[in-house]
Amino acid sequence: MNLSRLSLTIFIALAIGGALSLLISSSTVLSLFTQAIIYALFASGVGVLLRQNGMVSFGHALYFGGTGYGIGILLQMQVLSAEWTILVVLLGACLVAFLIGLVVVRVPGIAFGMLTLAIGQMAFLSVSRARGATGGADGMNIEWPSTLFGVSQSVLFKPAAMFLLSWCVLIVVLALLSLLLRTRFGAVTEAVRDNEERARFIGISTLVPRAAIYALSALVTGMAGVLSALNTGFVSPESLHWSLSGMALMMVVVGGSKALWGPAAGAVVYFLFKDVLGELATHWMSIFGIVLIAVIVFFPTGVAGGIQRLMRTRTAPSAGQPRTH
Amino acid sequence: MLTINLFNGLVYGALLIVMCSGLALIYGLRRVVNFAHGSLYMLGAYIGYSVAGFANFWAALVVVPLVMALFGVLLDRYGFRLLQDRDPLSVVLVTFGLLLVIEDFVQSVWGKSNLSVPAPAVLSTSIDLFGVPVPAYRIGVIVVGATVALGLTLWLRYSRVGLFVRAASTDPTTTAMQGINTDALSAGVVGLGTALAGLAGVVAAPFLSLSPSMSADVIIDSFVVVVIGGLGSLGGAFAAAMLLGMVQAIGAVYLPDAAVLMPFALMVAILIWKPSGFAGSRT
Repeated sequence: MNLSRLSLTIFIALAIGGALSLLISSSTVLSLFTQAIIYALFASGVGVLLRQNGMVSFGHALYFGGTGYGIGILLQMQVLSAEWTILVVLLGACLVAFLIGLVVVRVPGIAFGMLTLAIGQMAFLSVSRARGATGGADGMNIEWPSTLFGVSQSVLFKPAAMFLLSWCVLIVVLALLSLLLRTRFGAVTEAVRDNEERARFIGISTLVPRAAIYALSALVTGMAGVLSALNTGFVSPESLHWSLSGMALMMVVVGGSKALWGPAAGAVVYFLFKDVLGELATHWMSIFGIVLIAVIVFFPTGVAGGIQRLMRTRTAPSAGQPRTH
Repeated sequence: MLTINLFNGLVYGALLIVMCSGLALIYGLRRVVNFAHGSLYMLGAYIGYSVAGFANFWAALVVVPLVMALFGVLLDRYGFRLLQDRDPLSVVLVTFGLLLVIEDFVQSVWGKSNLSVPAPAVLSTSIDLFGVPVPAYRIGVIVVGATVALGLTLWLRYSRVGLFVRAASTDPTTTAMQGINTDALSAGVVGLGTALAGLAGVVAAPFLSLSPSMSADVIIDSFVVVVIGGLGSLGGAFAAAMLLGMVQAIGAVYLPDAAVLMPFALMVAILIWKPSGFAGSRT
């Protein structure tokens, strides 16, 4: 995708979001969509780590719930304005992730996943046991001020506005990621992913790019955490639990991680699916488990892979199936 | 206070040994980190609860590992074997899917409330240990852990099949070329690993209560143990299981607030020092 096509896509995507927020009048549908978009952003963070570095994090809920708690605590202490709090918390999450990344990315393969799981669970346990600042297992309310970035609460917290905000953040983040990953940084991380040893031979330091991708993915997931804090005004230890990280990973797999927008598509599919299930929702764990296994076994490229293949065969029907590798 | 805590640490360590030896065996042969291992443990505990209610605890101790072994053989034959050419991540996620299915199954069949299994009458007494009375059942748990550790070590080191297992864990292709049926071997080993998870569940039932969250508690600790020990290494896992049990026991006395964090802190510290764990040549 070249630059003009990218900007066209962004423009169309933003326009669709605007249209949706005007057209849908039901606030339940809008809040369902908003939730789906927030999780789409969460999953995009997990997905970018997998796509650029082949690393599977089982502990990204740390950055989702962590930013929520960060904002909640800072707002409670009233040291900064809400706008600065959001910025500081996001940068803080990014920095913490970079430092954690410097340690954890040295661990090879699946052990990395288990290590991230352990660190995430450590945060979950500390928060659910701490009584004071975080409210323990009950969670805490986030006291947003009456106006945020010059917009009053009554406007911002309308379902349509929340939906539009989340949608725009998602689109802009995906666009920025797509631009960033075309730079030398993107190429370096791909080289490190494909063959770390050779990358080191040609003089690329491999530790810092991997830690940086980890920090980047944490930043994206952290933004989802901020949006969630805005959307619900509440944060609880469940938002740090590893089952949430697992869900996000599931969205990545269902959506497909080859395309940047794949995880987001996976999240939307997940939420629509869950809503459609409705009655059967008591057995959603089994249903999702089976779907997850089926997708991995029969459609390893996920939704995004399927759509891409469909588009390719439509644009080049005479050339036959182009090889992907 | 310290004696009883150290003793409980030993009990928990013994339980972790039974859990983690299964996890390590499966990883060794199939290169699969089985996320469903904790759920298999839970399934074993609940089936044990039903069998114990129907017959008695000793019957559960025999029946559950057999049932779980059959489940493991099927899991290998129709799961891991078909997926062996896929990248390890996909297989891990398949086991995550399996975890969700088993958790839902257990909640649907046995409900969400806590259940308990009484310890068998013979072991319901307490025994004096250095002047501290301890439940006899817990000594039984330690005996089970020690038996599993010793039995597996001897089996792997001195039996012919054990030799094949060690060979196939090191290099499955070359082992298959020597005329060993590695698929049958893997089915047996995954069956054994699953049976051990079931055994751990039955053994844990009388001293930990049965609840749908019991799988999550134990799987995280088991992961910590196998990562610290070095993935796929049995000896490393045994050492790490005991270390974890002890660290939690001592932490509970001296740092009660931070005790739940100790295993993770230990794991992070050891991995910084030695990224591939105690035993550590495998990745």
